[in-house]
Amino acid sequence: MTKRLTGLLLASCTFVGATGMALADDFDYGSFEGYTLRVKLIGGTQYENLYTRIPEWEAMTGARVEIVSSKNHFDLDREIKQDIAAGNISWCLGSNHTSFAPQYGDLYIDLTDYIPQSELDQYVPGTLASSMVDGRLVQLPRVTDVSNLYYRRSLYEDPDNQARWMEEHGTELAPPVTFDEFRDQVIFFADPPNLYGTAFAGKDEGASGRFMEILRANGGDLFDEDWNPIFNSPEGVAALQWFIDIYQAGAVPAGTVNYTWDDIGAMMAAGQLALDLDWPGFAAFYADPDSSKIADELGFALSPVGSAGLHGAWSGSHSFSVTQACDNKEAAVSLAVFLTNDESEMMEAQAGNLPTRTATFSEVIDWFNANDKPFMAEMFEVWEGSLADARTPPLIPQWIEVSNVIWPQMQAAIVGEKTAQQALDDAVAQSREILEDAGLL
Amino acid sequence: MRFLGSSRAAPYLLLLPSIIVILAVVAVPLLVSFWTSFTPYNLTRPDTLYDFVGWRNYRRLMGNTDFWWAFGRTVVFITIALNLELLLGLGLALLMNNVRKGERTLRTIMMFPMMFSPILVGFMFKYLFNDAIGLVNNALFDLHIISRPIPWLVDGVLANLTIILAEIWMSTSVFAILLLAGLLALPKEPIEAAKVDGCNPWQVFRHITLPFLMPFIFIAMTIRSLDVARAYDMVRIMTNGGPAGRTELIWTLMVRTGYQNSHMGMANAMGYISILLSIFFTVFFYRKLIAARAFMGGAQ
Repeated sequence: MTKRLTGLLLASCTFVGATGMALADDFDYGSFEGYTLRVKLIGGTQYENLYTRIPEWEAMTGARVEIVSSKNHFDLDREIKQDIAAGNISWCLGSNHTSFAPQYGDLYIDLTDYIPQSELDQYVPGTLASSMVDGRLVQLPRVTDVSNLYYRRSLYEDPDNQARWMEEHGTELAPPVTFDEFRDQVIFFADPPNLYGTAFAGKDEGASGRFMEILRANGGDLFDEDWNPIFNSPEGVAALQWFIDIYQAGAVPAGTVNYTWDDIGAMMAAGQLALDLDWPGFAAFYADPDSSKIADELGFALSPVGSAGLHGAWSGSHSFSVTQACDNKEAAVSLAVFLTNDESEMMEAQAGNLPTRTATFSEVIDWFNANDKPFMAEMFEVWEGSLADARTPPLIPQWIEVSNVIWPQMQAAIVGEKTAQQALDDAVAQSREILEDAGLL
Repeated sequence: MRFLGSSRAAPYLLLLPSIIVILAVVAVPLLVSFWTSFTPYNLTRPDTLYDFVGWRNYRRLMGNTDFWWAFGRTVVFITIALNLELLLGLGLALLMNNVRKGERTLRTIMMFPMMFSPILVGFMFKYLFNDAIGLVNNALFDLHIISRPIPWLVDGVLANLTIILAEIWMSTSVFAILLLAGLLALPKEPIEAAKVDGCNPWQVFRHITLPFLMPFIFIAMTIRSLDVARAYDMVRIMTNGGPAGRTELIWTLMVRTGYQNSHMGMANAMGYISILLSIFFTVFFYRKLIAARAFMGGAQ
């Protein structure tokens, strides 16, 4: 009886497994012989490796892909807006991002009408939920960004540092768990001009997004449920004060208010920063001895929690969308699925990006271990945990515009022209005007 | 119909294709953009192109202190950059005019900065003046001149001066080339006559060379005052108008408003106000040019 039951269970498991595999491989990529699919894709080294798979899709479907534009996301965003304004949407598939997607109105189709639920079930549920705008799945996520902490292990293992920290703070020196500890350690490690505690993106969405992350970690938020801007709350002031404290202490480069991700990445790789709260995409760069001085001492930790004990976990996904105006939506959807299928996601993950398919996480950790890259396996294990708390910026068309009033006010407070409260009050007033004009208030 | 068949119509008929092209690529976009400045036109919501809101965009701009700061900063930026470019360009041209060996090579080298795209120049100066890894701060550290990094692109005065420096580095040779052309065309007789009459080199420069060069100077000024808007690319790369709006110029503000925030109607209203600035500089330099030409013709 027991043997029969075991046999049945094994058989059913095999059946379920086989069904699962069949479903995984079951997506019909179709045949589009002679068709030319026009696409606009994000350019840049870390994104273009995936496009080497396009000839495979062309061979499978008989279609040809014409890349009509390849730019960084900000330029691509500008170009797409011009296309919308001119009413000239002559392309089918475009790169997209969760922060940009809400701006584009009904430019893109709802992918749930074209992709079977069994296929969609293979994506990370939270990531897929963040890809929806007004209840429509307008993008298929390609890689996920969630901010977490890189640190230099040698600084934490140094006995002098350990003794000094113990003397000053009465605790063991370990990667920061809270933003208060993060601030204290940034100031503690800073020894300019050779070593800074950290650096932060000081302009554009890089600055306002990080502010949003700490604000949420403190228990606050940007808007209430009626879209009233409320980030000048005590939680918001404390979040902005975090930036002011480390800036005024000289623990970050003075020029950090003009920095973007590339500047910070270059400094971290050059060994000039002790800690870096940053994106997964930098892991492979930092871990490569050819490009980084800290390759052999790279540590990973979860993003700190704020005063409310929460992870802000600022997150977003790069993605692909299909236009309403496309004359062959099936072909465009086919390519979008192909570029985010198991093999594509594995390719992205091997480069250090967080994949968007659930199965890829365990597969890539095995692959890193098998290929003598245990630190990358460790990173995936640590950072997979942060996905549970991942939160995108508000998915409304006005987010970028609101962000553009937040960061200049943050800069004013950071460089000492205003207090944190004044700067946030001003940003709230300007944001309110934007939301009123948009009819949200 | 008789007119069209006559010889008097020939110039108009021959010019017609050009007129049509100019209307299509200049006049129509100008009219459309002027119309949009009276609408809440949003790039991602094309239907807003037809919502007439009267002077609302202009009224909002009148009370927008950020805009007027950017406007004023742009005037100061153009004034300082143009005058310094003129002085340095004039100096370069006078020196080049006295070179007798290898002048062609030197002229080519002098034009190198003009060959770089403003974006490239922006990146170059951004890294030169980066406070942490920049060449300038590192050199000052090594020479023991400073003990703490100078925040070149953060301090309000230094950041603007750094941007002006980048602009001057890129465009001084435009002045130098134009003024050198003027110097090469300068008749030798008046100078020789002045020297015979006992004028010293300064007097020759002040009373003969400079007046002769004035039309060239004002042509260069007019061209450069319109052309200086190319600095947008550099400012975008170096500071993007920050920090805290300290280096915000009209162009960075307009592009952020129009493209990032999608408010093309408001951005065009900014554009039409700032066009007054271009008209002012053009009229000013053109009048100066006429006066200088009159002087050269012996009217004074």
